[in-house]
Amino acid sequence: MATNLSHQFSSTIVTKAEPLACSAINSVSRLLSSSTGQSQPERENAEVKYDGKSEKPTEDGEDELDLNKETGEIGGPKGPEPTRYGDWEKNDRCSDF
Amino acid sequence: MTTCIPAGTGKLHFRVRDFNAQGCRKASWVTFSELSWSRGVSKFLQIQRCNSSQSPINESSKPLRTITSSSLRDDSTKFFDFTVIGSGVAGLRYALEVAKHGSVAVITKAEPHESNTNYAQGGVSAVLCPSDSVESHVQDTIVAGAYLCDEETVRVVCTEGPERIRELIAMGASFDHGEDGNLHLTREGGHSHHRIVHAADMTGKEIERALLEAVIKDPNIFMFQHHFAIDLLTSQDGSETVCLGVDTLNTETLEVIRFISKVTLLASGGAGQIYPTTTNPPVATGDGIAMAHRAQAVVSNMEFVQFHPTALADEGLPVKSTKARGNAFLITEAVRGDGGILYNLDMERFMPLYDERAELATRDVVARSIDDQLKKRNEKYVLLDISHKPRDKILSHFPNIAAECLRGGLDITRQPIPVVPAAHYMCGGVRAGLQGETNVQGLYVAGEVACTGLHGANRLASNSLLEALVFARRAVQPSIDHMKSSSLDFSASNWWSRPVVPMSLERNVINKILTMTRKVRKELQSIMWNYVGIVRSTTRLEAAEQKIHDLEAKWEDYLFRLGWEPTMVGLEACEMRNFFCCAKMVVSSALARHESRGLHYTIDFPHVEESERLPTIIFPCSSVKSTWSSRQLHNQPMC
Repeated sequence: MATNLSHQFSSTIVTKAEPLACSAINSVSRLLSSSTGQSQPERENAEVKYDGKSEKPTEDGEDELDLNKETGEIGGPKGPEPTRYGDWEKNDRCSDF
Repeated sequence: MTTCIPAGTGKLHFRVRDFNAQGCRKASWVTFSELSWSRGVSKFLQIQRCNSSQSPINESSKPLRTITSSSLRDDSTKFFDFTVIGSGVAGLRYALEVAKHGSVAVITKAEPHESNTNYAQGGVSAVLCPSDSVESHVQDTIVAGAYLCDEETVRVVCTEGPERIRELIAMGASFDHGEDGNLHLTREGGHSHHRIVHAADMTGKEIERALLEAVIKDPNIFMFQHHFAIDLLTSQDGSETVCLGVDTLNTETLEVIRFISKVTLLASGGAGQIYPTTTNPPVATGDGIAMAHRAQAVVSNMEFVQFHPTALADEGLPVKSTKARGNAFLITEAVRGDGGILYNLDMERFMPLYDERAELATRDVVARSIDDQLKKRNEKYVLLDISHKPRDKILSHFPNIAAECLRGGLDITRQPIPVVPAAHYMCGGVRAGLQGETNVQGLYVAGEVACTGLHGANRLASNSLLEALVFARRAVQPSIDHMKSSSLDFSASNWWSRPVVPMSLERNVINKILTMTRKVRKELQSIMWNYVGIVRSTTRLEAAEQKIHDLEAKWEDYLFRLGWEPTMVGLEACEMRNFFCCAKMVVSSALARHESRGLHYTIDFPHVEESERLPTIIFPCSSVKSTWSSRQLHNQPMC
């Protein structure tokens, strides 16, 4: 029964998305490294500020630029990378996939 | 020669001749003897040039920029060079271009920002990085589309995307940048390169904002909000069907307003609301697809409905909200990625039965698995459990789901989250050639309402905003050419009988009709979910066909027995007509595809079949026995 079902379903898998396992592993490790040491509930801002402060000393200007040190993005989404699991996530909500 | 079969009167099969291996597959109703994507459509669309040159028709009075009510009794017909139906990214982008050449009416059924565009929080995909390539974007799109895409269309869209993004930026849309000043590009599933531009978390909203701002400033564009489009106005020019405008209902003043134009752009978006759980806002009721079908436009690939596997199932929350949720809360992949487990209501973990990757299988597999469980067990939702994780981690990683569920009386640190798949995007729609042209002269389409050949059997992430931008732009020149070279008789406004508002009906009769219509709407959504969901079968689809037919007959009968007349219009009744129309097209398209491909999965044909790798076409023609839903409400002019 189990074999039949998996044959039925997996034979028609569209290979459009990378296997979740791969992106999950990469993304989880990214998540861990970027969220270590954070205290909540300032989740939204902590990501950027934490990244800004943990690495090389920043100039005041860079903090004001709202720079995400990990991605180099300015003014980007707060919190973990929205596409870390392949979909687009904001506030735990998926809006594109 | 074209042969068409009246919708619903039986099956007639021709041998389909492949045309450059891109022929068209036969749907239950129709076939062209030769038809390919852009080639076939362009060949068919010999736009008739008229000899007389025309100056643009402009509204004579001083422009009222945003018009919600017509104060003059005889102001019930308006003349514009271009009419745009829909105010999402496709409609507005187009309007801004054609406005340089004539007057433009933008018709929108609610507030201008109410569209799927506004809810598109992800990004727009485009090749904007030197290490990326159009070829790569093309390949990713075609793979995602399960090889049903029209390759020429894909190439055009991927090639023109970057320029469309630059234009948006020039128009004032703010996308995120990196330190180096370049656009920041991220990468979504299915893309082999970083190529998604975005504006923080609200790309669609930001694009909509920038476009609306430009539209409001444009002296040639007139926005008509709260104007619901009822039917396209068409006439016959020899063997050609020509679109000359659209009838609308001003839902605030309850007046019928007729728009006469040489060019109409249909950009009315999706039809997610035909399913009970959808991410689409309430306005997405498939009006454009239905109107186009009634106006003799070809519709394609309606079986490819994109679902997301895990939307929050309100019916599973202990505390039911009095207000129905407009658009579903899709629970991000991150929950499963972080260890969330899926259970059925008997707390059996089912994913391992379907895929060895269990909860980490691809979204389409998860969606099918959940759907299969729900149908087999006759249940309304499954459970996504993260409560085995430490409480503080749950609350720090998913504060918003936690809050949302708490509002519904559920503590996700202790209890599993009720989830159900939600309809998200229609890959099919009104068939468009490479210039956004349809088989109806003067009628162009762009955005989700269109089926351009880009998405094939499944849409690649972030390609929908891109498609809207590219096709809205491509439809501009042909529209201008058509507008300049065709003639329009000002008396055209009298060629069609006018729909009427049901003034003659008593208030309590109207209320009864409203109540029944709302009930029927829910029933139809339920039929769609139960019988035309993610895992399909011929038996279920045929049952759906019968049930929809019976439900439509019951509803129309009820209306007409209470005194509703065929030319009467009301928002809910007109939406309901469009619901039935779209639902029937999804079902018949699904029945016609004897394979599983991309978003369409059927247990009777569970594999991909090379011989079936063709678009599904619905080609309407004047019906002998049609329902009220499938007829235009006005009488056609005599040729």
